[in-house]
Amino acid sequence: MFEKILVANRGEIAVRIIRACKELNIRTVAVYSEVDANSMHVQLADEAICIGKAASSESYLRIDRIISAAEITDVDAIHAGYGFLSENAHFADVCENCNIRFIGPSSRAMNALEDKAVSRTLAKKAGVPTPPGSEGIVENEQDAITTAKRIGYPVMIKAIAGGGGRGMRAAHNDISLVKGYHTARSEAEKAFGNSGVYIEKLIENPHHIEFQILGDSRGNIIHLGERDCSIQRRNQKIVEETPSPLIENKFKDLRKKMGKAAIRIAETAHYTNAGTVEFIVDDKGSFYFLEVNKRIQVEHPITEEVTGVDLVKQQILIAMGEPLKLSQNDVTFKGHAIECRINAEDPFDDFRPCPGRIEMYYQPGGRGVRVDSHAYAGYTIPPTYDSLIGKLITSGKDRREAMDKMNRALSEYMITGVKTTIPFEQAILQDPNFRRGVYSTNFVDQLLGGARRELIEEKA
Amino acid sequence: MDLKDIKAIIDLMKKNSISEFELERQDFKIRLKRGLNGGPVPVLYEDAPSVGGVPQATIPAASATTTLPAPTGGGGGEMEIKSPMIGTFYRAPSPESAPYAEIGTEFGPETVVCIIEAMKVMNEIKAEVKGVITQVLVENAKPVEFGQPLFKIRQT
Repeated sequence: MFEKILVANRGEIAVRIIRACKELNIRTVAVYSEVDANSMHVQLADEAICIGKAASSESYLRIDRIISAAEITDVDAIHAGYGFLSENAHFADVCENCNIRFIGPSSRAMNALEDKAVSRTLAKKAGVPTPPGSEGIVENEQDAITTAKRIGYPVMIKAIAGGGGRGMRAAHNDISLVKGYHTARSEAEKAFGNSGVYIEKLIENPHHIEFQILGDSRGNIIHLGERDCSIQRRNQKIVEETPSPLIENKFKDLRKKMGKAAIRIAETAHYTNAGTVEFIVDDKGSFYFLEVNKRIQVEHPITEEVTGVDLVKQQILIAMGEPLKLSQNDVTFKGHAIECRINAEDPFDDFRPCPGRIEMYYQPGGRGVRVDSHAYAGYTIPPTYDSLIGKLITSGKDRREAMDKMNRALSEYMITGVKTTIPFEQAILQDPNFRRGVYSTNFVDQLLGGARRELIEEKA
Repeated sequence: MDLKDIKAIIDLMKKNSISEFELERQDFKIRLKRGLNGGPVPVLYEDAPSVGGVPQATIPAASATTTLPAPTGGGGGEMEIKSPMIGTFYRAPSPESAPYAEIGTEFGPETVVCIIEAMKVMNEIKAEVKGVITQVLVENAKPVEFGQPLFKIRQT
């Protein structure tokens, strides 16, 4: 049994992890940068250690300082949330070498899925379809052109070390391909320290559907259903839901097929703890593997609401060596859940980030409404990190009820002092195509462009 | 040179992506340094040895939201030495030795004032300034975090 866990993260996910620990009677240690001294996760934890200045490179990414903090507080384990060090195999190794359990997959599993190109190869080995594309890294311009000719335009140039929707460029012909190839490489070098890129067929009107998996240390792996995350802006997810309307309405047998494929990939990688297998699905119901996210994800709450499984607690229990108490047959799906990510961004000014002081804060409540947030009235959002201030999740007996609750909850949610994306999400929920459950990853672009702009402006 | 001039220099540094600036005049010397990401870095304001009692000034750099561990002014050049790392604070090189610093100890920038132990490594912490200890703020063998004040000193 863990007595104490250090949370190597901040914001809403740190609050989430601390809550799970408290319910398991595990003491918590928060780490924070100087600008986060008044952050909610620091207030909620049993102990808190300042680990550096505002910049992530000086604080939340400083392995040495986090380990030092773990040592002086004598913790048993570290939970790294998402982003930051959560998928850093070296960090996982350092923890284990210092006798601190890393809550997540082993560094071996992380390395088996270490980048997108390696993961593609693993998927092929597991017999899971991948989008037609290059065999590994594209070494040069000529290679890129040959690959594109083979798989056919349009194509997507992707950084192998990319993540969070960054490091991707589309190309529709040889000219944009060559230009994109060089730009993508230099961007990747700058952003991820790795200029490697690969090329995949760009699937038109794709649906982003991902599967949650859990694996214990004995090799038992289950999936907990899908999440449809096609509502994205610039490859950043905004609204997520489960079950996927595409699967429910058109391709019901995909859940079993894709769930099995997700498990096969996890098994091939000897994956343990929580993870998410991402797929792309086209309008004909063909699915292709994209990558594995080797951590708990932002949108995990919708899976929790529909399956009744506390994923963060499961992560902790699995890390403690507990075998999974659920078999695949035990996993049931009840009702429908939707999540809206609330960002401190101005939807009327190209989603410019709006850090600053929250003056008034009233979060919605009532039946079937869940808010995962670290915000409060008087809290100052620092400019140094991402703009996510909270997640609003609603669940109902069916999609209609979940949407009705989301509409109600969005209209109750009061945040002043900073601009938020709430009016934008209200517009999404009102959109007829969203309401019919007919949308792909082009949805947001279509909503923002064209005459539908008035709908957003109306909502303000 | 007054605050207005210093602010103007900082603006110029930002505009031209200059990270370090140093100016020395007859009775005055200033050095400004910008952090890696253009973030704020505590600034050293060195006064000439002959001028006594000049209060420390930390120039707040661009970002208004960061709260720096500013040297606390106490008049007469009083400030604190803060911990640059996380670990366990030790006042002496070994349990049998005398402490590196007591109240009244005079020190220079290269003087070791304490040890902070992290991950089995004993790190010697240097004063970085010239002064005399006025207060010891942490007990021996206690854990310290980043930015935690260790000593109150009077700069000389």
